[in-house]
Formats: sequence, structure tokens, C-alpha cells
Amino acid sequence: MLSMSRRKVGGWFNRSLPFWLILPTILVLLVTQVYPGIYTIWLSLQARQPTGWTFVGGNNYKRLFDMGQFGESVGHTVVFLVGFVVVTLVVGFLFALLLNRKLYFSGLYITLLYIPWVIADIIAGLVWRLLVVPDYGLLSGITQNPLFFPPNGLSILTAVPPRPWLGAFPFPPAPAMIYLIMASAWRALPFITLLLLAAMQTVPSEIVESSRIDGARGWQVVRFILLPLMLPTLVVALFSLTLSGMNGVGMIFSLTNGGPGTSTEVLSYLLYSIGWTQREFGRAAALAMLIAVVNWLLILGTLRVSRVEERGA
Amino acid sequence: MHQFLIMRRHWERWLLNALLILICMVVLLPVATTLLISFKREEDVVRKPPVLFPCDTPTRAFDPTACRWSLEGYERVLAPKPTGGWPLGFVLTGNMFRVYIPNTLLYATTSSLLVVTLAGMAGYAFSRYRFRGHRLLMSSILAITGVPLLTNLLALYQMGVDLRKAQLPFYDDRLLIIIVYVGFYLPLSVWVAKGFFDAIPRDLEEAAFIDGCSPLDALGRIIIPLAAPGLMSIFLLTFVNVWNEFIAGYLLIAKNEFKPAMFGLYDFLSQNIINFQVIAAACVLIALPTVVLFLFTRRLFFQAMVEGAVKG
Amino acid sequence: MKRLWSLSTFIVLIALVLTGCVAPAPAGSTPQAGADAGAGVKDFVTWYQYDQNNEDTKSDERVGNEYIRKTIPLFNEAFKGKWNWVNQPKAFDKMGTELITAVQAGGDVPDLMHIGNSDLLAFYQNGTVQDLTEWAQAQPWFKDLDPNSVTACQGPDGKLYCIPVAEAPQLVFVWKDRFPDGYPTTPADFMKQAEALKAKGLYAITFFGSTDYDGEGMSRFFWTAISSFGGKLDDGKGVMTLNTPANVAAIEFIREIVTKGYAPEIVFAGKFQEEEAFKDASAGSFPTGIFGYRYVNPLTAPSGKKYEKKNEEDMLDAIAAGDVTLAPFLAAEGQKPGCNNAVSAFTIPTGAKNVDAAKDYINWIMGAEQNPAWVLGPGGGFPALKSIQSAESFQTPFYKEAAKVVAASNCHPWYGSLERRQEAQKLIVTTIYKLIKEDPSADIATTLTAAEAEYNKGN
Repeated sequence: MLSMSRRKVGGWFNRSLPFWLILPTILVLLVTQVYPGIYTIWLSLQARQPTGWTFVGGNNYKRLFDMGQFGESVGHTVVFLVGFVVVTLVVGFLFALLLNRKLYFSGLYITLLYIPWVIADIIAGLVWRLLVVPDYGLLSGITQNPLFFPPNGLSILTAVPPRPWLGAFPFPPAPAMIYLIMASAWRALPFITLLLLAAMQTVPSEIVESSRIDGARGWQVVRFILLPLMLPTLVVALFSLTLSGMNGVGMIFSLTNGGPGTSTEVLSYLLYSIGWTQREFGRAAALAMLIAVVNWLLILGTLRVSRVEERGA
Repeated sequence: MHQFLIMRRHWERWLLNALLILICMVVLLPVATTLLISFKREEDVVRKPPVLFPCDTPTRAFDPTACRWSLEGYERVLAPKPTGGWPLGFVLTGNMFRVYIPNTLLYATTSSLLVVTLAGMAGYAFSRYRFRGHRLLMSSILAITGVPLLTNLLALYQMGVDLRKAQLPFYDDRLLIIIVYVGFYLPLSVWVAKGFFDAIPRDLEEAAFIDGCSPLDALGRIIIPLAAPGLMSIFLLTFVNVWNEFIAGYLLIAKNEFKPAMFGLYDFLSQNIINFQVIAAACVLIALPTVVLFLFTRRLFFQAMVEGAVKG
Repeated sequence: MKRLWSLSTFIVLIALVLTGCVAPAPAGSTPQAGADAGAGVKDFVTWYQYDQNNEDTKSDERVGNEYIRKTIPLFNEAFKGKWNWVNQPKAFDKMGTELITAVQAGGDVPDLMHIGNSDLLAFYQNGTVQDLTEWAQAQPWFKDLDPNSVTACQGPDGKLYCIPVAEAPQLVFVWKDRFPDGYPTTPADFMKQAEALKAKGLYAITFFGSTDYDGEGMSRFFWTAISSFGGKLDDGKGVMTLNTPANVAAIEFIREIVTKGYAPEIVFAGKFQEEEAFKDASAGSFPTGIFGYRYVNPLTAPSGKKYEKKNEEDMLDAIAAGDVTLAPFLAAEGQKPGCNNAVSAFTIPTGAKNVDAAKDYINWIMGAEQNPAWVLGPGGGFPALKSIQSAESFQTPFYKEAAKVVAASNCHPWYGSLERRQEAQKLIVTTIYKLIKEDPSADIATTLTAAEAEYNKGN
């Protein structure tokens, strides 16, 4: 197909049209994203004295690494991300498999399953908290019953993590962390399910049919036909989940507040805590820079994968 | 044999439906519980052990005639006051409906309209033209979203203050927050919009050019009508995102009467830490508009989500 | 067809949104309506955690809300033609940060803010508040202030950065019937009675044990316990000293309470849910701030008697009826019961536009006519003015008993000379939490040494 810029159409205005179309977007982004980003870099090298900002070089970064809580938060972040991504992808894939069958009510199911995504993370956190409030929450009624969790029952919001298996790495996680992962997955599931379902539906049914005729059983179809064909989408889903898991703080904010103790305190929550409750904006900016680097790596990964996909298609 | 296969199909279908219904129920359980709590009385909220329905009597575990439903939670959020006048005979004096939700509605609508306009323009340009720096620009637009929102706020806050000091005649915090929201949700929307334009065959425009249309004419007469559902889905997506956003709205707006609904929820938390029925009612009231909006426009939602994820 | 459908939805949506926006517009401007009343009247802006527009009679903050609502007209009447009081309610756990960022960025600041003393140092370091030393010393009420409360308002440079109005010491609310031999006075006695209660399926104590609100627990039970063992958290020069024999003994004591099950699990749930265990008398005692009486209701006494007005009167009634008594915390041998003393105070932020009004307001509140109402309302404790302590409002059974308890205790702020209070608070509370709950076998001394080293690195 001919690229349009090579065609001679209209005068100067028409030729520079793409520029004018993109300009407003770029201006808005410069103001709301680029400038604040640069400001954050500057801020990460400053500390506040009663007289004003003073340059402290890498001191904010050094103090960040000195914090015992920083190392712990890295561990919690890794546990959270792995749990969140794996649970969401696996359950989302299973849901998509179910919904991919031609059923009369598929539309209704999809709609119902989608509702959690529309609910704000702050509200979702509250909603899940109401379920496990010690003594009064509906789920607490079950988990705190010694019949199900001997010997004393389990109060999700206050139970401490088991002794870690590997040094200080917080695994196995605290019940609250597992619950947080479930709640976060609950909110991310609709999106992932839909994404995987869409990808699944692009797999030509002839391929699936012919493989069945060749004698492939259910899981073999999934393993050898669906998974390889859906791989790019799965990777995109993986990156986008990691990205949103890395930066989401609203759910923790209303569900656990980082507790019990610090067992659900991930990096993004630590950032909030240092910046907006300890009011050390310089150190918070330093942490923000570290998170930003991780984010950029993730985005780079997504871009690479989607480019591969484009070329493949 | 054939008969058997049909039988199996039949059973399988029943099984699948049952399974999906079960899944839906489990997934919606937290929402349902919150709804139930919001209609309970305080005494039933703090029961040990908890009860799902406040319908038990000393003699029976469940008696539908003895249910103690209550609107207390909603009354305390809405704070209705009788006026005896038009149109309803009462006014809602609670800050939630008097101040916060109208603000959120304003922010969500305006910023979504702006996002749709800007993303539509940029997405069209990226989709239809190849120029130097095309890929770089697209990639940087996406990369921009990597800076965590929380610290961006420090600079944005500073900016807001400078603007306030400049005393521009038309400026207030509402303008700032709208521009900030546009900036937050624009990058991904540009990608989504480009995807939608890519899906529209170029032959149509080619034909229009041959008929003597200018690119702008072609855009207005052919592309935009065809892309309307896509743009609409961007609108909805941004709308819901802005509606649900908390921290920027909380920190960037100085005047209480400009603060959004999520702040209102926070307000309720700090004033009613242990009154779960009030908190639940506030949650329901704030989430209701987006859920209803979604139920009516779900197809468009699905479109934008998938498009955004696959391309982005 | 499909396009038509989506188009019509769109139109309906826009229509809905527009009507939604038009209707409430006039309502939004009401708070400022008084501003134009008469020429020459200037606005006087305050930040409180209380909201005069919230008329919910069951809100947790109804006492403060109602006070502000009633007092605004009184103030505007007293300064008619001069000042117009505009109160802007702020969330209690965010207002400090909001003020700091507002001053740093040169944003809109109030003319006066109601603060607790634990925020003061962050304000001092960030240059957020004005030095009030000279002005305050020239005022007639200054000499009448309790010296302790003045100290709490001083920055490290000895200057006065806030004006104390009320003091809220910590004390213990006790269900009398749960402790037939009286509330224990020594750790050993406490353990004995706690064991007896445990045998009956009851808990001896409930307290703020979570790490919630970035370590709010510090100023509550944790400091009460540590200081009752003679412990200290600093060396008087800004260096944190956690690993001391007294601190270790105090943490061992708390650890024993937790591991032996003398406190309910809900202690660690955060969001003030530990109060629930006292409300139904399943826990026999509750060390907290004196202001706690407002929030802990409705109550059910051990006898089954119910106090169900669902407001602050429940606790006062229970005290008047003798079901609940107030007591100092126990103390280690040779020590006085310790407690944290929080001061409720006024500050004038840097960049306040109407400092004169703020000063008029402070003088107004410091007068004998207004002071008791403020202390009973937003203050929630004892008056910082010694002469007001004998006022009629403070001669109720509750206040008389509380005064006796406070006289028997040694109350001072937990942070001593520590300068980065928020950071210290979170670090210490997290450390204590780990020692008493998460890892009850960890060595207390080593863990404390590690924590103090981490803090002191930042000095």
C-alpha cells in the first residue's frame, strides 16, 4: 500500500498536517509528564533544610539502601509480583478457555466477570477488607474457625508470616500478602481474561479441529497449539501485569496499609510512606527513580515483544 | 455413537454453564457482601460470628420476614434533609452528592473528551503518515508512562501553586487537575487510537482523495464516523480511570469544594473508621455510576481494552 | 445499527453528565458565601480535622464537628466587621504533610492550624511554621501555661513554634469487675491477674499494637509501657538509644502479654479496631489517650449492663456508674507509671495571610470564656492553662478521676530529642512489632541495636 506522505496532496498545511495533529499531545505530555520527570531527577539529589533545598548528591540513594525496610520491600515486591502475575495469568487463561466455548450465555458471563475491573482500587481494597475484618468479616467467620485452620483459627489481617525458608527472603508469604495477591488478581482478572480470550479467538478453529482429528486430547491442544500461538499475547499480558503490580498502591492503601507489621509493604507503598508521611521528598524521589528504571525496562520488553509480533504477523 | 456424542455435548454444556455460574458467584461475592453490609444495621454488622443475612431470629436461623434491613448507612452518607418543596421534598446535604460526585463527573467528562480529541488526532497522524522520528516518538510516548505517578505529583503540585500565584483570570485547580488527568491517560490512548485507525482500510481514503477530498475532509467524512465506536471506547476507558483515581485528585486540589469522590470516600473513612455499614454505603454509591455505565456500554469497553493491550 | 446504538448511548451519556454538572454548581460556592458580607471584613482561614458541615450525629468526629459548627458564628459575632472565620476541614492523618508541601511550594496556607506536638519537628525542619516566642511571651495568658506543654511546643532552638491549648495524657480505661483486686501496679501482679482472666477466657488488656498509620502506636501503649519501665529512646542529643536494659525489659513484658495470649488478636488489626475488645469487655483494660472516651462506644459491662447512647456519653456514664475506672499504668520497681503526653496546639504557618486574625483568635480561645469549650471539643484533654483546670467543666467524675491518675504518672512525649520523628516512629514501632509478634524468639537487644544504628546513620 502506498504511504500517503509520498503523495502530493494539497499545500503546505496538508503536508505538515501530521505535525499539527501530534503537537497538542506532545505539549500536554511535556507539561504533565516530562517536566515532572526531570524535576524528580533533580529532587532525588536534594534534601530539605529549614532554609530550603540543598544539594546532597547521592546521599538520598545511600540512605535508601541503608534502610532495612528497603531490602524487605524489595523482597515483598518480588513475592507480590510473582504471585500476582502467576495467579492472574493462570486463572485468566482457564477462564478464557471456559468462555471460548460457544455458550448461549457467554456474553452475560463475560459482563458479570468484568465488573471488578470497573471498581476503583481503593474501593476494591475496602470491599476485600470488609470480608476479613477480624471477628466481623464474613470470611473471618470461616478462617478464624479452629475447625478449618487448627489450632487457633487464622485471622488474615493479623497473622504473622511463617519463618522464611531462604535467609531473609519473605517466602512463604504472610497470609495477608496471599490475600492481597488474591484481591489484586481479582481486579486484574477481567482484563487479562478478555485479552487472552481475544487472542484465543484469533486462533483459526481449523487448526484446532485438525489437531483433534489427529488425535490430540484437550490439554495437548492447549499445550501444543494454543499456547505457542498465543505466546506474544501472553508475554504482553505478563509485562502489563508486572507494570501495574509494580505501581499500584491504592489497594494496599485501603486493604492492609502495609501490615501486619511490614509484611505487605511493597516498594510503591514505601515510596508513599517516605514521601507523604515521613515527608522526605528527596529520598522518595530517589526511590521513584529506581522504580522508574524498572518500569522502563518492562516497557522496553513490551515494545520488543509487540514488534516481534508485528513482524511475525 | 453419534447419539452418544450429542448426549455428551449436552451434558458438557450443562456442566460448563454450572461451572461458569459458580465462578461468577465467587467473583462477585465481595461485591455482594459489601452490598449486604451497606443495608445492615450497626448491630448486625458487628456480630460475632458474622452473619450473611441479618434475618435470623432467636428461634430460626433464617426467617425472611424478620430481616432487619436498614438504610442507615445511606442516610448518613447522603444526609437527606426535608425541605417540603420541589422537586423531591428533600435535599441531599451530604458532601458526597452535593460536592464530590459532581466534581468527579466534571473532571471525568472533560478530561475524557480532551483525551479522545487529542488521542484521535495524534493516533490518526501516527496511523496514516510515515515521517522521520515516527517510531521514536511513538516509543517515547509510551516510555513516558514509566515515571511513577506518586512523585510526578511533587512537580505538578509546584506547578499548580505557581499557576495559582499567577492569578490568571480563568484559572482554578479544576483546570490543572483536568490537564493532569489528560496527561496521565493520553499516552496509552494514542496507541489505542492508532490501532483503531490502522484497522480502517486505507482504500476508502484513497478513493476519497481521487474524488478530490483534502485529508481533512477525508478525516471528517470518512475516518471519524468509522472510528466512532473506537473513540467512544477510549472515552469510556478514560472516564472510568479518572473516576477511580484518588491520589492526584487528593493532593493537587487545594479547595475542599473542588475535591473528587475518591477523596470523599477518604473523608468518610477518617470520620467513620469502625462504622462498616457507612463505609460500605459510600463505596456502593461511588462505584455505582461506573458499574452502570459499564453495563450499558460493555462492548465498547472490551474493544478498547483488547486494542490497548495488544498494541501497547 | 450497532453504530446508531453506540451513538445514542453517547448522546444520552453526555446529556446525563451535563445535567449532573449544571445542577450542583451553586451549592459548591456556599462555603465562601460569607466572604462578601460587608466591606473590610477579611477572611480568617483555619485547618481543623473537624468539618462544620458534617452534621452526622454518629460520625466519629461529631464532638469536634459540632464544636466548630457552633463556634464559627460566635467568633464572627465577637469580631464583627473585622474577621470572618472560614474553616477548611482536612483529613487527620494527611493535614501535616499537606501543610508542609503547601508552604514549600508557596501554596495556599491557612492562617492557623490545629496540630498535635508530634508534627512540630517536621514543621520546624521544613520551615513550615512561624516563630511565636516574642508575641506569646507578651500575652497575659503565657505565664498561666503548664511548663510541660510549653516545652512540647518548643523547637530544638528553644523557640516557641506553637501555642499549647490542651494536653492529652495517656491513661488506662479499666473494667472494674475484671480486676477485683484493683488494677495491677507491678508487672508481676499484672501477669498474675492476666493469667486468672485468661483462665476465664478473657483478656487482661487491649492496645494499639499494629503498625498502622505509620507507627501511631508509638505514642500510645508502646511508649506507656517503655516509660513505665524507666526506658528512654534517645540520649538527649538526638541520638537514638534503643538497646538499654529498661527498654529490653519493657519489650520482654509486652512480648509476654502477646505470646501468653493476655491480649486479643484484634490488637494487631489496625484502624483502631482494638477498641472493639474493650467495648464488649472481653478485654479488661485499655491504655490509650484520655480522648479515647469519645470513640469507644457503645459499651457492654461485664455484668451485661449496656451503655448504648452510641456517643461519648456512654463512657462517661460507665465511669459515673463505677463500671469503668481510670488507672495509671503499672510500673517496674522503683519507677513511676509512664505515659505519653500529647499536646493539642495552634500554629501559624509561614506565609499565612492574616496573622492578625490568627493572633486575635488565639487570644479569644485563651480567654476564660472560650477555653473550656475548646478543650472539651477539639482538644479532648486537660486545659494547658492552669487556671482553667479548676473550671466547672473539669469537675466531672471523669475529669476528677483522670486528674488523679495523671498526677500519679510521669507523662512526657516519647520522642525526646529525636529530630526525625516520623521516621523514628515508624522504625521503632516496626521493630517492636517484629519482636513481640512476628518473631517472639528473636534476640531483643541485637534487634534494637540494629534499629538504632539504622536511624543514627541518618544523623
